[in-house]
Amino acid sequence: MSIEILKLGLLSTLVGSERIGFRNVGVGSGGAMDTFAMKVANYLVGNAEQESVLEMYFPSCEILVRNTELISVTGKGFDVSVNDSPISSWKPIVVSKNSILKLNVRRNGGRAYVSVNGGWKSASWLGSFSTHLGVQAGGHFGQVIKKGAVIETSRLSNAKDSNAFNWGIASSELEKVYTPTNEIRCIESIESNLLSQPSRTAFASTEFTISNTSNRMGFRLSGKPMKLDKPINLVSSAVDVGTIQLLPEGNLIILMADHQTTGGYPRIASVVKADLPKLAQLNPTDQLIFKFITLHEAEKLLVERQTQLEEIRKSCLLRMRN
Amino acid sequence: MIDEVTIASLNENALLVSFGNTIDVAVNQLVTSLALTIVNKPFSGFIEAVPAYSSLAVFYDPGVVLSKNNLRATAAEFVTSYIREILDETGKIIDHSNARKIEIPVLYDGEDLALVADHHRLTTDEIVSIHTSTLYRVFMIGFLPGFAYMGTLDPRIEMSRRSSPRTSVPAGSVAIAGMQTGIYPQASPGGWQLIGRTPIKIFDTAKSPPCLLSSGDTVQFVAIDKDLFDSLNEY
Repeated sequence: MSIEILKLGLLSTLVGSERIGFRNVGVGSGGAMDTFAMKVANYLVGNAEQESVLEMYFPSCEILVRNTELISVTGKGFDVSVNDSPISSWKPIVVSKNSILKLNVRRNGGRAYVSVNGGWKSASWLGSFSTHLGVQAGGHFGQVIKKGAVIETSRLSNAKDSNAFNWGIASSELEKVYTPTNEIRCIESIESNLLSQPSRTAFASTEFTISNTSNRMGFRLSGKPMKLDKPINLVSSAVDVGTIQLLPEGNLIILMADHQTTGGYPRIASVVKADLPKLAQLNPTDQLIFKFITLHEAEKLLVERQTQLEEIRKSCLLRMRN
Repeated sequence: MIDEVTIASLNENALLVSFGNTIDVAVNQLVTSLALTIVNKPFSGFIEAVPAYSSLAVFYDPGVVLSKNNLRATAAEFVTSYIREILDETGKIIDHSNARKIEIPVLYDGEDLALVADHHRLTTDEIVSIHTSTLYRVFMIGFLPGFAYMGTLDPRIEMSRRSSPRTSVPAGSVAIAGMQTGIYPQASPGGWQLIGRTPIKIFDTAKSPPCLLSSGDTVQFVAIDKDLFDSLNEY
């Protein structure tokens, strides 16, 4: 019926599907930073992919599970335990009533997703459960989840202690999404051709470091300063998650889930959709290297990812029935 | 004008149709007309269209485009030719120049009103009269949910952004910057010059649709007094 947050990480919100169709009034798609982990968390507990999931950044947390529930924990960079016994992430788990679910950050952490059968009780706004912090709508009262918060499940659980699940997501499936860890593939974007030749070379061949000022709106990078052939003033125009913009001082920013819908900085490249979950699991001080691929390859990767998710969904559904 | 159109990929799920790099009513009319045309007759896989000053982004699902069209080429090529076809055939574009006209009441008591007046050696009443006597076009919505970039401002009251932005501009503030005017829908940091405030919630999460304005709308500001402001106040 409910969980109580005893201890929390850095930023926790309820996320659902992307919010589609409102960019023309300045409302971006929002949703999970790692959409792969979020969707799979839902599949593992028998939910549709748009159900509300708890997203936690730097998830050092303790959660009191008040009733017996079927849950799953997905994401990267943490260990999970129930009543101090280690459990696996990326699989369905029955947690008995009054248990303590604990996540401990390994190294510098990542993003964790906690799903429950039926979904967390969440406000729907413009067709999505995702929290929009800017206008305080959707999710858990439109707010960041704070210590002491009680989050209800949206329906009564029929999970029993005797339910045991001995399956989960194969590590080979996760490797397709999250490795090689620091290689981020990208394609050219609208103003790619305005970049100076030395900057183009440096962009594709040197390492960049994710800076400490990164958040759900964007990851700022430090590295070789980039330059255009000649300065340009652009009128505002559309951007998207994964758009890499060149800021006036020469640094780059990669727009993430809560980005603004339009911007005026040159769009010098775009991270491919298939690599956004991997990117979302990187942290400040992590290094990354960009690798250019063609638009044709990026489309193929996106379709492959859609197919992979659909296969995982079906296989979870089948195993849940048996 | 249409000869200067470029269509390029923003990424693998969006194309950007660009009519130049300019703030111009005729160009923006092309943008909103193309948006309306595509929304009224979408291709399979179309997701949404995002108008800006002189460009339109067309978002789509490449998986759907490819599967519905049995393509050997890319989804981007298919969507590009779909848009080219609309642009090349005269009469295919829906005329969107007769959009809605919306009146927005404003109490002109902004913190920067006197500053703007001094800057132009005008009285505050003259600033108000000039600001209310122009019909503005909503060029685009962005920056914040519901933030409408409107123009163009009478050059007699144009003023650049503040050199140091305010850390919090209250919701409902009516402001100007360069040749543009706008309304802050939510409290936010902002560098525009504040000349007044509207009692009307121009973006309301409790309403469907949440946003009062759309790209291409015409806006007329109407000066109101404090009593009327108080009785209309939705904040």
